[in-house]
Amino acid sequence: MVEISQHAMRRRAVVGEMRHLLFSVTPGAAWIVIFLVLPSAYLMGVAFMTNGPYGLPQMPLTLDAFERLAGFGFLGWSPGNLYTLLRSLWQTLLSTTLVVLVAYPIAYYITTCRERWRPIMLLAVVVPSWTNQVIRTFGWMNLLAPGTPLSELAEGLGLISPNMGLYPSNFAVTLGLVYNFLPFMVLPLYAAFEKLDTAQVEAAQDLYASPMRAFWHAVFPQTLPGLLAGIVLVAIPAFGMYVIPELLGGGKGMMLGNLVATQFSGGSNWPLGAAGAILMLIATFIGLFAMRRIGKRLGGGEEVVI
Amino acid sequence: MNKRALKRGLTGFWWLTLFFLYLPLAVVVLFSFNAANSSASFTGVSLRWYRRLLGNEQILSAFTNSMVLAIVSSVIALVIGCLIGYGMYRHRHRKLGWLIVLIYLPIVLPDIVFGISEMAFFVQIHEATGLLKPGLGTMIIAHVTFQIPFVALIVYSRFVGLDPTLFEAAKDLYATPFKRVLHFMLPTIKPALISAFFLSFTLSIDDFVISFFTAGPESATLPIYIWGAIKKGVSPEINAIASLMIAAVAVAAILSLIFSRRRQA
Amino acid sequence: MKINKTTLALSLGSLALAGQVQAQENKLYLFNWTEYMDPAIIEAFEEKYDVEVVQNYFNSNPEMFAKLNAGGVSQYDVIVPSNYYIPRLIETGLVKELDKSKLDNLDNVMEQFADPSYDPGARYSAPYQWGVTGIIYNTETFPEAPKSWSLLFDPEVNSQHPFGVMGDGQVSMGGACAYLGHGYDCTTMEAWREAAQLLIETKNRDTFSGFTDGTPALQQLARGVTHAGLSYNGDFLFYREENPDAFAKMEFMIPDEGAEMWVDAMMIPKEAPNPDMAYKFIDFILDAEIGAQLSNYNYYASPNAAARPYLDEVLTQPPVQPSESDMERLRFTPTLEGEQLQTFQQLWSEVKSR
Repeated sequence: MVEISQHAMRRRAVVGEMRHLLFSVTPGAAWIVIFLVLPSAYLMGVAFMTNGPYGLPQMPLTLDAFERLAGFGFLGWSPGNLYTLLRSLWQTLLSTTLVVLVAYPIAYYITTCRERWRPIMLLAVVVPSWTNQVIRTFGWMNLLAPGTPLSELAEGLGLISPNMGLYPSNFAVTLGLVYNFLPFMVLPLYAAFEKLDTAQVEAAQDLYASPMRAFWHAVFPQTLPGLLAGIVLVAIPAFGMYVIPELLGGGKGMMLGNLVATQFSGGSNWPLGAAGAILMLIATFIGLFAMRRIGKRLGGGEEVVI
Repeated sequence: MNKRALKRGLTGFWWLTLFFLYLPLAVVVLFSFNAANSSASFTGVSLRWYRRLLGNEQILSAFTNSMVLAIVSSVIALVIGCLIGYGMYRHRHRKLGWLIVLIYLPIVLPDIVFGISEMAFFVQIHEATGLLKPGLGTMIIAHVTFQIPFVALIVYSRFVGLDPTLFEAAKDLYATPFKRVLHFMLPTIKPALISAFFLSFTLSIDDFVISFFTAGPESATLPIYIWGAIKKGVSPEINAIASLMIAAVAVAAILSLIFSRRRQA
Repeated sequence: MKINKTTLALSLGSLALAGQVQAQENKLYLFNWTEYMDPAIIEAFEEKYDVEVVQNYFNSNPEMFAKLNAGGVSQYDVIVPSNYYIPRLIETGLVKELDKSKLDNLDNVMEQFADPSYDPGARYSAPYQWGVTGIIYNTETFPEAPKSWSLLFDPEVNSQHPFGVMGDGQVSMGGACAYLGHGYDCTTMEAWREAAQLLIETKNRDTFSGFTDGTPALQQLARGVTHAGLSYNGDFLFYREENPDAFAKMEFMIPDEGAEMWVDAMMIPKEAPNPDMAYKFIDFILDAEIGAQLSNYNYYASPNAAARPYLDEVLTQPPVQPSESDMERLRFTPTLEGEQLQTFQQLWSEVKSR
């Protein structure tokens, strides 16, 4: 009797737990599945469909869109999309590197300041990103247009041709990307610096003669999880960026995001756009995977889950 | 290396970076008062661009749309995200890998892929069933989708930070699960809820691409309006609207500063 | 348990609320080009029919077409596409055939617009305005500008000053074709290839400032961002009137190699939410006096014969009404379909991405 009732109770507890799990997790999980997983799956399906005469997907299934993405068309092979891909990769690499170079000392500097100032300093870094990215980019359009002081200065230094502005250009796109993503790098780096084990650093200072080597052996590895998290937060959205190249690039700075978007917003070719989106996803997941691997190997461990 | 020199150099670099971060915003505000229609020369102070805004119904409705979108989506995301965050905590010993993947998906998906997927999908659903007509409704759905993970993760990490024995104590103290939620859980995670709401709100306001692709004819938000105005080429008025948004952000920043100060004290 | 029901109710409630904001009332959804409609006409229409007109804008035909494909077909009551997109809209089934019994003022339309090549028998469209796409340039920068596309495409004619071309590929390619001697309305593969090559070279010149749609191009000119660009005759006059100082040094030019003439027409999307009101609106615009008021406002030539007595004088002379010799050189942008369209789009995307 006793045994049976215990068994029943345990069973009831398990059922209760399951029900609890179901009720707490289902709404959110269902929401994401219905409104994101299904749409993405549909989009992926579109990539395998035929491009209709006016850009809408049609049956039958085909790999045409991927061939087009690779540059094969009615005209034989043409390098346009390859240019776009390389430009996206290059802009991502360049802007992420620049963001790291700026954010690293800034994040460190904040941790050296008095504790009561730190929240304010972090806030000061983050506040510009609370405004909309369209507004932030528009600010740079104002600043870099022909005839503005910055453009005149660049012209005086012979960096750009006369009468031209710094915008539109690929330079403006890079600048816009760095500006847009700087806070995303400062925050995780700051978190890493704050947790820095100073005893280790001091030991390293005794151990290694040069401060450079002390930094490299004691400080840098400890900030690595933050750095990797920052790279993920910066590089992934930068690679798929649409707004900044569209507004600051002036037709010379087209990136993958623009290629994908115009297939839908310029009414040309949904399957091609969808194929571009798949390429973007693959790149994103490779990036994530690589970061996790590097993070794990260098001992960042679990913390590197973004 | 001289430590003092390093510190001085870093201080200089810090101010330079701040200058870089605030320069574009300052220029937007400055030129919103420009008498001339030019970004190259400032010819005098004038309020004409603000006066033009006043009579513009579209801007007013765009502002209302932005607010309705941000508030409604944040509230929904807060409720759903909170549940899922608690579920993740309570059942963290189970194998919930699929759930983690699901939750990270909206975060890692590039905006543009997110936006066009939903647009293409909603169009199909609308054609088939008449539901999900592009407009504020579809925009709210899209925004909730990218807000849920952030809420869930914030709430989850708050729970993880708690002492597990607290839960046992609460179980003894309050008889029903409902009372436990009301008197123990909600008060305990209140800071997390507040910051999750603010983050959701900010994410919604900051979004352009996803809104742009899921919007309907009457649901343009301020960023969509500004995008249209930039594409149309009318600048000084954009400066004025953008300045108002920057002012709102400045107020929010000051508020959050006061808030965090009070919490520290 | 309880909380789950509450949340469910809550979220459903707020969704319903969000839906309610959008609830349909007596509204007319107009999808039109930017700066193309006199607000006074909208007010008069709203008053006459006790309806609210909701206006949405586009800057180019591709943008309009994409929006219709992305669900817009059931969201707008009246759209105003250009001639070369009209066959595309008809063929994709995005628009309704017009019930002419509901358009009393259709007789006001000029003869040459009653049976246009882009819509034989005018079964689907009623003309709105017509105009010309030309080069607008700064006479101070180019005091001796040739009446030619070379102002944009020849680096020796303009080596130093920023300029832009049209964001709509068909117009820019047409210009390049005209410059190369293939005529504005070129459609052969050879001509296109050459034109695309020219555009790629042009785009990679230091002084190229970007692909801009017609209306914004004028703002760039006014602000000195560019010194030459492509735009429309009516918009040019409209902005010159609004901002005489900035446009004092600007001139509108129709290149001698030929350029674009276009007709914008009103159409009703297939699943328009309020088609009855759409007919009323189209008929309202076709009214003699309203048609004249529209042209007087936006400086475009009117396809409305009955409106002629009410037109301002400026509308009877260049650039609104081009000279006869210019008129002969103007062409419609060709309508593309099928494989031709896809080839064109590949070429254009190549231009944009290289």
